[in-house]
Parts: sequence; C-alpha cells; structure tokens
Amino acid sequence: MMLNGKVVRTRPSFGVLIVLPLLLSLVAPIANASVAQDEPTGTSPEDIWSDDYINMIFPWASANEPILQFKEYHTYETMKSRMLRLAEDNPDIFEFHEGMNGGTNARGEEVTANAYEGWYYGHASPWMKITADVQDGDYNPFVGDNGNYPERHDVMIVGNHHAREWMSYTVPMMQLEVIAFSYDNIGYDNDGDGEIDEDPWGDANGDGALDDDGDCLGLNASSQDSNGDGTPCGPGDLGVDEDYSEQWITDLVNSREIYLIPMLNTDGNIYDRDVYMPGQCPNEEAWDCSAAGWRKNLRDNTVTGVTPLPDLDESVDEGCDGVDLNRNYQFEWGAPLGATGPLIPGACYAGQNNDVYNGPVDTVDQDNDGRLNEDHVDGKDDDADGLTDEDWLGGNSEPETKFIQDLTEMNDDTGDGSSEFMATITHHSYSELILYPWGHCTDCESPDHEQLKYHGQQMADMTQYANLQSSDLYPTSGDFCDWHYGVHGSYCYTSEIGTAFHQQQEDIDHIAVRNLGTGFYIAEIADNPRELADLAIANISQQNYLQELDESDIPAEGDIPIDICVSNEFPFSETNSKIKWRTVKPSRLQSDFGPREWATTSWESVDVMAEGDCSTSSGNGTVLRGMIPISETATGKLHYKASVSTLSGSDLYQYPADGDYYVLDLSYRAAYGSFFGSLFMFALTAGFVWGGLAVCLRMMLSDDEEIDLAASSAQDGAEK
Amino acid sequence: MAEDGDSDQFNGRMGLIFASIGAAIGTGNIWRFPRMVGANGGGTFLVPWLFFLFIWSIPLVIAEYAMGKRSRTGTIGTFRIFAGKKFAWMGLWTAWISTAIGFYYAVVSGWTIKYFQLGITGALNGEGVDTTEVWNAFLQNPGQVIFFQFLVIVMTLAAIWKGAKAIEKVNFYLMISLFALLFLTLFLSLWMDFSDGTLDGALFMFTVDFDMLFEPEVWINGLSQSAWSCSAGMGMCITYAVYMSKDEDTVLNAFTMGLANNSISIIAGLAVLSAIFAVNPDPLATVTGGSSAITFLALPEVFAQAPFAPIGPLFMMAGFFLALSFAAMTSMISTVELCVRNFVDHGYEREKSVALTGVALFMFGLPSAVMWVKLDSNGVAFPEFLEVQDHIWGYGLMFSGLFIAFSIWKYGYLRWKSGVEAGVAPPGFKGYLGFGVSAFRDDFINTGDNDMEVGRWWDLLMYLAFPILFAVLMISYFTDMIANTDDVWNPTNPRGLGIILMFWGVVAALFISFNKFLIRRPLYRNIPIGAEVDISTLPGGDDDLVVALGEVAPGFEHLSKDGSLSKALEAELVG
Repeated sequence: MMLNGKVVRTRPSFGVLIVLPLLLSLVAPIANASVAQDEPTGTSPEDIWSDDYINMIFPWASANEPILQFKEYHTYETMKSRMLRLAEDNPDIFEFHEGMNGGTNARGEEVTANAYEGWYYGHASPWMKITADVQDGDYNPFVGDNGNYPERHDVMIVGNHHAREWMSYTVPMMQLEVIAFSYDNIGYDNDGDGEIDEDPWGDANGDGALDDDGDCLGLNASSQDSNGDGTPCGPGDLGVDEDYSEQWITDLVNSREIYLIPMLNTDGNIYDRDVYMPGQCPNEEAWDCSAAGWRKNLRDNTVTGVTPLPDLDESVDEGCDGVDLNRNYQFEWGAPLGATGPLIPGACYAGQNNDVYNGPVDTVDQDNDGRLNEDHVDGKDDDADGLTDEDWLGGNSEPETKFIQDLTEMNDDTGDGSSEFMATITHHSYSELILYPWGHCTDCESPDHEQLKYHGQQMADMTQYANLQSSDLYPTSGDFCDWHYGVHGSYCYTSEIGTAFHQQQEDIDHIAVRNLGTGFYIAEIADNPRELADLAIANISQQNYLQELDESDIPAEGDIPIDICVSNEFPFSETNSKIKWRTVKPSRLQSDFGPREWATTSWESVDVMAEGDCSTSSGNGTVLRGMIPISETATGKLHYKASVSTLSGSDLYQYPADGDYYVLDLSYRAAYGSFFGSLFMFALTAGFVWGGLAVCLRMMLSDDEEIDLAASSAQDGAEK
Repeated sequence: MAEDGDSDQFNGRMGLIFASIGAAIGTGNIWRFPRMVGANGGGTFLVPWLFFLFIWSIPLVIAEYAMGKRSRTGTIGTFRIFAGKKFAWMGLWTAWISTAIGFYYAVVSGWTIKYFQLGITGALNGEGVDTTEVWNAFLQNPGQVIFFQFLVIVMTLAAIWKGAKAIEKVNFYLMISLFALLFLTLFLSLWMDFSDGTLDGALFMFTVDFDMLFEPEVWINGLSQSAWSCSAGMGMCITYAVYMSKDEDTVLNAFTMGLANNSISIIAGLAVLSAIFAVNPDPLATVTGGSSAITFLALPEVFAQAPFAPIGPLFMMAGFFLALSFAAMTSMISTVELCVRNFVDHGYEREKSVALTGVALFMFGLPSAVMWVKLDSNGVAFPEFLEVQDHIWGYGLMFSGLFIAFSIWKYGYLRWKSGVEAGVAPPGFKGYLGFGVSAFRDDFINTGDNDMEVGRWWDLLMYLAFPILFAVLMISYFTDMIANTDDVWNPTNPRGLGIILMFWGVVAALFISFNKFLIRRPLYRNIPIGAEVDISTLPGGDDDLVVALGEVAPGFEHLSKDGSLSKALEAELVG
C-alpha cells in the first residue's frame, strides 16, 4: 500500500509518518543499552524461559532451517512447497489450493482456471483452506475446495497485494505455522517457563499492559526490549503475548473456515525479488537497497500493437506496466478522480502516478442494454433499471483481483447469495497502522464506523499500531477493503506491517510475531463482528467515568474544567461528546419569609477537548475536558453530567447513569472588590443618596417658614 | 384647634416626611436589601437600584402625592375621583392589597419584637446558643407568635387612634431612633469587619462588576427592589397626602422620601454585610440564603461575635432588632392608616374604624401566625401559610401602581378631548402629545406650590417607561415562576401561578361587582382650610355624593340627623 518515493515527497505529513518510526528504531536500542548498565535489577531471560524461546527458535522446524524459523524470507517457491508440506502433514485441517477451478461465476461469466494465473509467470495464487475436517463438508466445484460447512463462518486473510511488501506474506505464513503446530496441541508451553497459556494476544487481563503474565516486565531493563524497537515489553518483545491458548486456536479452526492467501500477487513478488530489486541494486540484498521495489502485478500496459494480452514476448516495461491490485477492485473504482491514481482512468504516463494505476476502463456492456458502464459498483442502482452495479466502469481486470472476487462471491455455503466472509484482513507494509473503511472518501464515515473502529483498536492495541480510517491516511479507491465492506458488508482491515517494504532479515521473526494476533482476532470476530463490537462498546462504556469534583477542585479563576475519562477502547467522538451543566442559583422568586429557594437553569452543554491521559478500571483512557463557563462571582450549585458519543453518534452514553448528575457547590471566587473602585462607588452612591437627601432637607427647611418638628411637637406638648 | 383648620392635617411638612419615610422603610430595607446586594454582585446591584429609584419609585410617589393632595381622600376616593366612578374598585384593590399584606406583616413585626426581647435579655449571644433552635422553638410556639402579633397590633392602633398628629409624632421618634440604632449597628459592624485589616463587606457592597452590569437579571432585580421597598404605588402616599397642608411641595417630598428610604437601605446593607463578611467563611452563601434565615439565624450568630463583649454583642443584637421592629412598626402604622382612612372617607367614625381594622388584622393574621409552620430541608422552621399569603398578595402591589398610571393616562386623554371641544387644546395626535400627556403634570404637580418644577421627563416616565418596566417586571417574574415551578397552573399549589391568578380573579371580580355599592355612598373629602381646589374637571369630580367634610351629601341628610355621622365628622375635625 505504500506509495513510491515521488508521491511521498508531495505529502510531507505522510513522509514524517514513515520516517518517525524509522528514526525511533535507530535511536532506541542505543538509548536503551546505556540505561541498561545502570539497572541490573530484575531477572534475565535465561532464568525463566527456554533457550529456544529466548533465541526465537520456533518449535515447528529445526533451528537450522532459517526460512522456517523466519530468519530469512520465503520465496514464492519455498512458500508454496511449505504450504504443500503443511497440508500434507495436517490433512485434517489444511487443504492446499492454487487459484480455482472456475466455471460460471456469480456474474454469469464463464471463467476458466487460467483466468486466475498471473499475466507473466503464470502462477495462480496459492492458498490454504483451513478448517476442521477439511476433507469433509460440502464440495464447492467452482472454488474446488472441500470442507464447506454452512454453519462455520468464513474468514479471508490475504497477503501480498503489493509485490514488494514482503512482511505481508510472511505474517500469514507464520500464522499458518502456528495453526499447524497448535491445533490439538493443547497446553503447549510456548516459552518454556512452566506456565501454560498465561499470556494471550492483547491485554487480556485488562491491566493496561500487553504482558499479561508480567514475565517481560519482571526482566532486567536491558532485556525488556528484545526487538530493539524502543518500547520495553512491547508487542514482538520476548515474553509479550508469547503463550497463547492452543485450545482457543483449535476452537477457531473447528468453528471457522479460514481462507489464507499469503501471496496474492505471485507475479509481482517473483519479479520484485528476481528481477526488479537485483536490477536496482545488483550487489545488495533487497533490504539494503535504497530502491522501494516493485508494487504492482505484471499486466502489460505498454501499447506496442501486440495484443491481446498477455504480451509474453516483451519484458516488463517498468515505467508503465502493471496494475496496482489494491486499486483494481470494483467498488467506487476510479473515484474520486485524482485521489491516488492516474488522472484519466486506464491511461498510463510513465512515472506519473503509475504505481497506483488501477487498470483499464471497462469496454464491455455487461447488461447488453446498449449503454456502457452506466451503473458502476457503488451499491446503488445508478441507472434506475432495477439492477444494482450491473454495468461497471472498470476494475476486476486482473487475474488476482478476479480470484479474490470470485472466491468471495462463489463461496456461498449457505446459498443465500451473500458473502460468507464476515471479517477479512489484508496484510500490507509498512507504517505500523491498522486501517478500516472507508478509503474512497474523505471526511466520511461508514455506517459501521464505530464498530469498525472498535475492532481496529483492538488489533492496534495488540500490535501497538495506530488505528485509522483508511482515507485519513490518504484516499484510495478500488481497494480490497472498500470492496469487501462496501459490496459484501465484511468487516475488513488493512494492516500496514513494520517499518520497511523489504524489512531487514533479522527483523522478520519479531515483526511477524508482533503481527500474529491480528489474523486470529479477525477469525475470532468473524461470527458477528457488528454485534460483538456493540456489546463490547456498551461494556467498555462502563469503564468511562465522569470526574466527581469537590470544591477544592474549582480553580481560583476562570471556567471550571469538568473531565470525563474515556477508555481508549471506547470509540468516542470528541465532536459529539458533551459535558452538560446547569446551575442552581438563589432564586429571584425568593420569598422574604420562607426558606431558601433555588432557581435551576436549563441544561446547557459545552464541547469537550481531549486533554491528556487518564486511567480507567482496566486500561488507559483519554481525558475529555469541558470548560464550564461559570462566572467567578457565581454562587449556588453546579449540576453536571456528561454524554459521551460513540463515533457515529448513534449511541450516547450518560455519566453518571441516566438522569443522574453530580453536584458541586459553588462559592464566590472573585475578589470582594478593589479599594479604589469601591471608594469611588461609595462616594458616588453616598453623594447621590445622602447628598441628595441633605439637599432636599435643606430646601425643605429653608423654604418652610414652619418651625421644625421638634419645635412643633414641643408646642404641641405645651398646648396639652 | 379650630383656627388650625377644619380638617385633620400634619403639623409640619417634617411630619409628613417622617410618616412617609416610616411607611417606605420596612423590613425590605433591612432584611431584603442585603440579600439582593449579595445575590446581584454587590456594588453592581446599586447601579440599577439607584437608577430605578429615579425612574420608577420617585415619579410614582410624585403621582401619589399629587393625587392624594387633590382628592383629599384615601385610595378608594382617590380612584373614584381620578379614574371615574366606575373605577372606585381600583382603590378598593389598592387598599385590600395593603391590608392583606398587613395581616401577615403584623406577624412578621411581632417576630422582630420577640427578637429584640431575646437580644436585650442576652438569650441570643450566650455560649452555645443554636440560633436555629431558638428560631424553631419560637415559631413553633403559637402562643408566643400570637402574643407578639397582638402586641404589634395594639401598639399600632394606639399610635393611630388619634389621627394625623399622633402618627406624625410616633413616626418621628421611631425614625430618629431607627437612624440612631442603625448607625450604632453599622459602627460595630465596621469595627468587626475591620478587625482583620480589611473591609470585605464594604468592598463587596461598593464594587461594580462591569460584566454583571450587563446582565438583565441584575436590572430586573434592581427594579423590583426599588419598586417594593419604596412602597411606591402602594397607596401609602395617597393616604398621607390627605393630611398635607395646602402649599405642600409634592415633588420635594417625593425626592426626600425616596432618598431617605435608600439611605436607610445603604446603612442597613452595609451593617449587615460587614458583620457577615467579618465572621462568616462563606459570606455570600449566607447572604443569598432565604431572607428570614439571614435575619434570624445568621445575624444573631454574627452579632454574638461583636467586639466589647458582653456589652457590644448585647448592644448590637438589641439595637439591630429594635431598629428592625421600628421599621416594621412604622410600616404597620401606614398600612392600618391606609385602611382606616378609607373607612373614615365613607363616613365611619375613626375610633370604630381603627378598632375594626385592628380586629380584622388580628383575626386574619392568625392563620399566618400559626398555620402550616413547617421545617425546610435544613431543619429551619418557616410559616408556610404566611409565605403563601406573601406569594399571592406581594405581586398584587404592582397592579396598584398600574392603576395609578391608568388614572394619569385617562385624565390626560379626557382633558385633551374636552380641551379640543372647548377649542383650547390642539387636535390630532400631536395635540394629544402636547396637551393631553402633560395635563396631569400641569394641573396637579406643577401647581405653584413646588420648589421644583417637574418637567417633561415625568410624562415620559409615566407614559413610556412605566408600562414597559411594569411589563418587564411582571413577565420576567411570571416566566421565572412558570419555568421553575412544577405544576405551576394548579391553584392548589401554594407556590404556583394558578393560586395567584385565582385569588386575584376572585378579589377583582368581587370588587368590580361591589363598585356600584361603593359609589352610592357619599365620600367625604378631608380639606384643610384654604386648600380648596377645583376637582370638577376630574372624571369623578362632578359627583354630587363627593362632598367636603362638614357638608351634607344629597340624599344622606338622615345621616347627619341621627348624629352618628356628625359625631364621626366631629372627631375628624377636632383630631
């Protein structure tokens, strides 16, 4: 998914995003090493773990098989042979495939098996069908797989859309190894510490640390950051999420059908490894070469007059050939124009946005109505003919994308015409991100925004990657996830693994370990991701809490800050969340003789702003602060409560519980007055009132010939 | 006395002034004003409060004096003459509101005397005195409350039994003492406040918060304090104007009375706030608490800490409550006098009227004294029946003011119309503005007896400012009430608007239907010698039944024959 260097330079903020982790990873080990000598406290790895675990020698192969130990990269060939071997060794759960048989697809097209073979090298994508009793169950003649069970939810895990992103097929390969090793191998002690299943993926015990059993955290400081990424006891470090439950994996295999496609773009991958990178850096390994690598597949785009494609007579024209597979899916294909694709769909300008070339414009009138491309794929009936998305603009032109599309649409175990894939993930590299739909529009939110964000956050917590809406990184159209979610409603995630396209070989193992959990997480939520998210959000909402203040928390001057601590697991919307408040003031209707009366104002709300971190009962949270504009001269009471909105605003959670609120006594905070100001006012008032009175009395006395009252009453008394 | 004149009148204008000031100064100045200052930003509040003294209170008082001085009758007669025969009920309303307030005001006045007694005996400043306990014990003891209510009524009746001269004298001594006592309290309060080196209370009371100055609520509160505390529009000044000598200066009197009222407020406010700020950790929370709570719970606590113990606290406590009871007593006097005057105007004997009013005050005040004495959420006793009475009739005061304005407007219009017919007034709207609007002022205020000529500003205030302010005041109060009260329209809700409107409706309907009986009675005007003025141009001035004291109304000759009337009249003349 990474763009080439030229594009990056036009997006400085994005450039920073890439460089920052790189810089951090360079600096961190040095910094950490210097600290290490000062703090010899804590245990050392040898004290608790097996030597194999400490050296990351995985139990599924001998130590001298560097590829199987993830010390070196698989090639297409080694990967395929390993997959075959695993399928052979685990026939009850694995079934190996390359491409599909074909037949009449869901769109009524006749497709043959070779339609899924790469243009250039001619390989179909190898994939593994994973489920218990994989040889039983229903047979799907189009796909060619056994083990279809209507009641088992299907999961699709796809690697290597982009040829050069080598970690993206490595992670699924490791997942395959883990499944093969763990299935029915209940109670295996992964780290050799004598404890079993004590540290599954993520922060399972909710204490805010991934290292649930605390073994990494108990190490001496120098051993805590074994992967050297600068984060002690972070994901991928020894002792973190290292001892997952084999029973859980077994249960997943028993209850899901996993379609694991580690290397979708075989053509591109072979080309990148064997031709492109050696061409760029003849004397260097790919990971030492400064060239970015080959991204697309190997479609022959060069107009040479040699048609039809594939034009196998020619070598690849690196300036123009190839299609970016992750721009070639049909949902909103090619739109918005100018997002990250050629300005004119299908056109090729050498070196100009060509790395994201999304394939040719469609030339077929699919519905034979005499109009071309009048109803492109967007889930709407654009031409109002009663059919939806039936005459598309383009996309799905490549063997690899056709494979994904037909696999998705033809794998209909239940026969209800809808996709069985409730959850999907596609691995990419790099940037350390978890991305969720949409990608094709900016400032937009999908109908499942908060649920998508919730699951994304779970995976981001696991990997300590950033969780983003795809288009917030940059807009894309025609990508895997927009299509899966947009057309088939599948919760689809793009994980951007690691920090380089061709990651250094010594980083393969720990980066793969770091990203291992996401594929399993997707498998786990595949039964009903929306409902799971809703339940989890409602559950997490109980962790959020409104700070209850007392008088000492009121600042001496200015607005009164009211904080609500919102769990980072909670998909909150800063914009839609509010602090609500009202005051209870001495009433203007106060009777002169009755008890004290209060006037309650009506509820008002203030916006909140994220303001630092806080901790919830089970993890970290974000402080959302609302500033209540209470005058310093106010007295009485402040009532306040918070309403925290989920991302889409579809749910509002009230704090404290519904209808309730907190009460804060307000005392007068302003100064009682200034000496000169009050002196002036006193002089003014006294002058006006007492002076005025004196003037009046003088006028009265001097005017009136009548004697003053004392005299008159004296006279009165005399008369009596 | 005969050479003094045929009528009852004050000896000097000082007598009138002191009586008027006594009427204006009441508990509102001493226990409501400090709360209002506290709740409305200290010195900020003084700005609107002073502003509305000149915009609302003084102009209305001028009108009252002018009307009373011309009609020479109490409120009923004044409206009968000024607003016309059909509108005598307005005077009845005015009298009723004042009297209805008097029913429970006597009870409240009784509290102040009780607290003076408690203060002078040192019962409030001993070690470990819980002021709430003292208050609850008193209020929950019906015998005590009734006794002090009775005491107040008896003292009031004694003061006015003899008419104007006695009122004058009593008010003079009470007012002078009030000033002295308040100054004593103020001195001790400032001493207390300054003992920590600062004068917080004084600073607060005189510091203007300019942000708050732009809040409408502060202005509405300033207006309400000015409107209620000054008694403007209540009919008090109409009543006392009856006793004015012929060349009395109504305008100067109005200014003197208004300014004196506010002077007392400032002194009382300063004394109360300084004392509370001197010893209370959260003075504003205390000050903005209910009014009677400040006066009877907070202040005794504060005063107990006065310097020069044990004499200082004793002086302060006794002095303050004595001043308060004097303020209450003088207001009580004017209330009773207002009622009595109306009886006398209609030919009843003064003594009989006074006795009747006294009995009524006592009887109808009893429920307020003893009914529904409850504890609030803080465990402080309060008389809910009394509070409901205040709730209902307190707002009714504003309508008395409106009726006065109505009379002025009506007079202006009729005068201009007849002027046009007679060819002396210019026709058209412009003519109305020139001739009609200023008619009341020309005819009744600028009579030549004034030191100060009242200018066009008064017309503007009466015709323009008054109705606007009246509307703002009533609407803001009622919308507040509607917004803040549950079940506000239910007439059985003692705090609602429904109960107010119901009582007003019943009373107004009753009075309007009673109007025709009212105007069948002769009306006797109390005209001092040489003060004869023409009232024939007034809407109700050509009524045969309106006669000067000593004259016989046509058709009522029998009254003079059986002696009862002549006896009554004689009493007035001799008075």
